[in-house]
Amino acid sequence: MTEVLNYVWLGVLAVFQGPGLFTVLGVSIPAAPLMVVGGLLTGIAVGATPGLAGPMAMAISLPILISVFGFTPDAILPVFGFLLGIMKGATVGGAVPAILFNMPGTPDALMTTLDGYPMARKGQPRRALRIAQLSSVTGDTFSDLVLFVCAPFLAVFVEAYLDLPEKTALLILSISFIAAVMGASVGRGLLSVGLGLVAAFVGTGQALTPRLTGGVGGLADGFPLVSAILGVLILGEIFKGIEDLIAKGPKHRAEEAPEDVEGGDDLQPGDIGRIAPHVARGAVIGTIIGALPGVGSTLAATLSYTFGNRRHEKRRKPTQAAFGKGAPEGIASTEAANSAVSGANLIPVLSLGIPGNAAAVFLILAADSIGGFNPGPAVFNFTAPEVNPELVTAFGIFTLMAIGNLLNWTIGGWFMRSMGVLARVPGQILLPVVLLLTLTAIYVQETSLFALWVTFGFGVLGYLFRRSDVPVLPFVIAFILARPLEQTAREAFAATGGDPWFLFGSATSILFMAAAVGSVVVLSRK
Amino acid sequence: MKHLFKPLAVAAAAFCVPATTMAADWTPPGPITMMIGFAAGGGADTQARLIAQGIEEKYGWKILPKQVTGNSGLSLASELAAAPADGTAIGMVVSESLTYSALAADNPDLQLEKFTPLATTASFELGLVAMADGPFNTWDKTKAAGEAGDPIRFGVASDRQADVAYLFGKQAGIDFNIVPVKGGAGVMNGLRGGDLDIGFVAGAQSKAVQQGELVNIASGISTTLKDSPDAPMITDLGSAFSLDGYFMFIAPGDLDPAAREALGAAIEDVLNDPETEAHKLVSKGFGGADVITGEALDAKMQELLDNAAELLDAANAG
Repeated sequence: MTEVLNYVWLGVLAVFQGPGLFTVLGVSIPAAPLMVVGGLLTGIAVGATPGLAGPMAMAISLPILISVFGFTPDAILPVFGFLLGIMKGATVGGAVPAILFNMPGTPDALMTTLDGYPMARKGQPRRALRIAQLSSVTGDTFSDLVLFVCAPFLAVFVEAYLDLPEKTALLILSISFIAAVMGASVGRGLLSVGLGLVAAFVGTGQALTPRLTGGVGGLADGFPLVSAILGVLILGEIFKGIEDLIAKGPKHRAEEAPEDVEGGDDLQPGDIGRIAPHVARGAVIGTIIGALPGVGSTLAATLSYTFGNRRHEKRRKPTQAAFGKGAPEGIASTEAANSAVSGANLIPVLSLGIPGNAAAVFLILAADSIGGFNPGPAVFNFTAPEVNPELVTAFGIFTLMAIGNLLNWTIGGWFMRSMGVLARVPGQILLPVVLLLTLTAIYVQETSLFALWVTFGFGVLGYLFRRSDVPVLPFVIAFILARPLEQTAREAFAATGGDPWFLFGSATSILFMAAAVGSVVVLSRK
Repeated sequence: MKHLFKPLAVAAAAFCVPATTMAADWTPPGPITMMIGFAAGGGADTQARLIAQGIEEKYGWKILPKQVTGNSGLSLASELAAAPADGTAIGMVVSESLTYSALAADNPDLQLEKFTPLATTASFELGLVAMADGPFNTWDKTKAAGEAGDPIRFGVASDRQADVAYLFGKQAGIDFNIVPVKGGAGVMNGLRGGDLDIGFVAGAQSKAVQQGELVNIASGISTTLKDSPDAPMITDLGSAFSLDGYFMFIAPGDLDPAAREALGAAIEDVLNDPETEAHKLVSKGFGGADVITGEALDAKMQELLDNAAELLDAANAG
């Protein structure tokens, strides 16, 4: 136990005694906590801007952060600080335009519009925003606490009980599950995953001559990770956005809420008590959903809203608004659940290296680009007396998340209320700016025009995916998991003495394989 | 007489200087791109970046490090081969990239003679490693388990190590399950997680061995290990081959000899200066600096190349 506490303490120290950003009166100001502040404010602003989302901001800032902090292990915590700040800020900020203008700032704030906008129409935008902030931050904090406790135990469990064949089967299960639950149909999900695997197999492998490169020298080490991922996720979205703009014309973006105020426009006495059960339920639902890779915050918000509605209808007093008519409980259910997804989503990331959503993809990408921290079970080796630097980093990341939550509780609410103006940025300005920033950011990291062509290529692919209703996230997650999958499978094959049936050698791996097939079969019948 | 002698001496010195200090006069015609064939953030990558930093501080040459990983250093070799041979492009690899891996890949453009070796930085302190408190913490226990028919998982980080492990096992009468993993860090993670039983690590095990978590059950090189002087060498245990090698800098072929000498001297200078960060890192984590340059390096590379050819023949035959 003292060993664990020692690591926790080292993690806290790593954050506060890490490399300084600048010095004030001879005192070095550590970079990592400051980066959390910067990321959080950026995230709230981005979340409050319809058309931008947290992952997009993470994508653009990652290459810039890496070029500022470099490829040393010291860079991990400041870079993660900023990215986690964005992740946390965006979940809070997404509620701002949803409440004020009936436009969700991020996709998962869609359900917030149902009650938030009616409240704003009734002259209580400030109260609605306060409730959204309180619920969102509570959900997020709860989810983070579950992460802090569960991730190390899950990792230690996996390392202790799962051998190489079982780890391979677990990766296959994760990819199958993601293909099955994301997007309009299982077939499209499988297509997306399949193409992601094929793209990832270019240039890699163990032979001394790179495979599948078609003789293109630049592909000898595979498609540049940043180019491929940002191309599909960001450029594809921008291309689709431009097409929508052309098709529909520049639409009138923001609808103003009326200014007339009936009654107080701030938290009312008893509000906390009213929303508390909804926040608690939402936090639990969001955390459970978040821990499953690929399921996502929209489902968590919908489930929590539905359950919340059922309970609210049973106990509602005649004076209280029903769900959909401006009920604070509705906002609380939605915001607590969609925010609780983000912390729990890092459980499979940190303990298994399996990303479950776009934000997690960029955290893995950051770790992979900088080096020195490889999310997976090996991170949680509690070695002694030799200090495991990756474990210190993991506890440093937990510390950063706790700092992010504290900031979200305090300055987050004040900052989000001043962000309403961002909902009026028109798309025809926003899209080109994001496109330019993305390409610049990629060039900063890869310093080759070839990388930009690759980005464009994947951007077109991402656009085609969106046109044909194929989900893009399974592609990206498969692209990231392909190398660990191939590596673990090779190791498992070799370690079992070349047994071709290594995936069916133990009850656990048979169970995982059956679940992989089962998830695809069951979910394709819906 | 004195008045006459002095200018003469100066004149004579002026004539002699260009011949003897041509290398010292050499400066790179532009910023130097330093390609690094190792994953960002690891020990070898840090070593390369600290050497770059040391050269910048001591010589004022601008150095731009960049990662070119993949295919056991051959991705770097093919990119370096296309770069200008004027000292503005160098790369850090391990000696086996241009010996064993180049021979095995059989690409005529990537052979040793197409490159100019500049300097080694440190030699492999390569050990056969196991958990100190595990069932395979001595060679005798490992051999006994192997002879009893227990499957033994042997982690290796390169094809060359895999060949040596295979031939070693054959010689010792043990059929190892040879598991290729990612780098020495992959072997150590596999040992700690219980996925591997023993494995080759080329120096990264040093700290864990000193602290008693891991143990070198044998030396994989042709000398004993500095951390574990009592561990036998694998050549004493029946292996016909050892895994000597170096971390080293290379440049494209037909490099100007003055540039070769100047770059080699700069690397040597930085590594042997006890004040530099590079020296401290190499002393702490790589068993100390081991710099070989010039003709001695050519001879060493030829020796390693001959060994690699023998190893490949033996592995292909067996």
